[in-house]
Amino acid sequence: MEKKSANRRDFLKLAATGAPVAAVAAVTGGSAQAVEIEENSESYRETEHVRKYLESARF
Amino acid sequence: MSQLAEDANRAVAEEDLLRADLYDLISALLAGPPSRDLLHRVSRLSGDDSDLGRAVIAMARVAKATTPKSAESEFNRLFIGLGRGELLPYASYYMTGFLNEKPLALLRNDMTRLGIERAENVYEPEDNIASLAEMMAGLIRGRFEAPSDLDTQKAFYNTHVGPWAGHFFTDLEGAQGSILYAPVGAIGRVFMEIEREAFRLSS
Repeated sequence: MEKKSANRRDFLKLAATGAPVAAVAAVTGGSAQAVEIEENSESYRETEHVRKYLESARF
Repeated sequence: MSQLAEDANRAVAEEDLLRADLYDLISALLAGPPSRDLLHRVSRLSGDDSDLGRAVIAMARVAKATTPKSAESEFNRLFIGLGRGELLPYASYYMTGFLNEKPLALLRNDMTRLGIERAENVYEPEDNIASLAEMMAGLIRGRFEAPSDLDTQKAFYNTHVGPWAGHFFTDLEGAQGSILYAPVGAIGRVFMEIEREAFRLSS
């Protein structure tokens, strides 16, 4: 298991470090579409309601 | 707390942060037409001689010559169109041939289980590529209630991303309307190959 996760890390270091894109992602990443779920059940119901409406309105 | 500080607190490994950054970049570029600011940032990226590095260099070069206006019309041609765009970037469409099919229902179940909710002002089905990339980045960074461990990421990837995203990025790379988005497609295609292999090595 330890060896396998080391393999994976080594592979990723080789394959994915050739083009760091952090400068872009740090500014633009996250929050575009998905958000953390909230405990507030009001907003959940509303989202579900809107979702149902949109589903029914779709072709 | 800044994103970087949050990441550091969670002790996400460096190579996983690179993955999250790539997912966030893909999400930012596919969620909507890129702003002038985003184009500018993209135009300053560089890479090495790897497949991924070369694709990023190509994207930076095109971004430098792209105006926000032309990027917007390219985005609209590809994804919005008159009636529909050239491509339909949805898991359900790629996996079943139809929109809003079972893959979307499965995704919604998993989102609920993992504590991910759609933002209220978003009207697009959640199985679009930009949202899925954002969810992958969020899982890696530990943004959601769900544990950010590799098994969770792998299960989510294998169910919702792996089966189709590579095909979509290949289509994007070769789409008639793709100029800026051709190298974006190449980046996605190469990255999905890397992800598949990395998850395979972890099993």
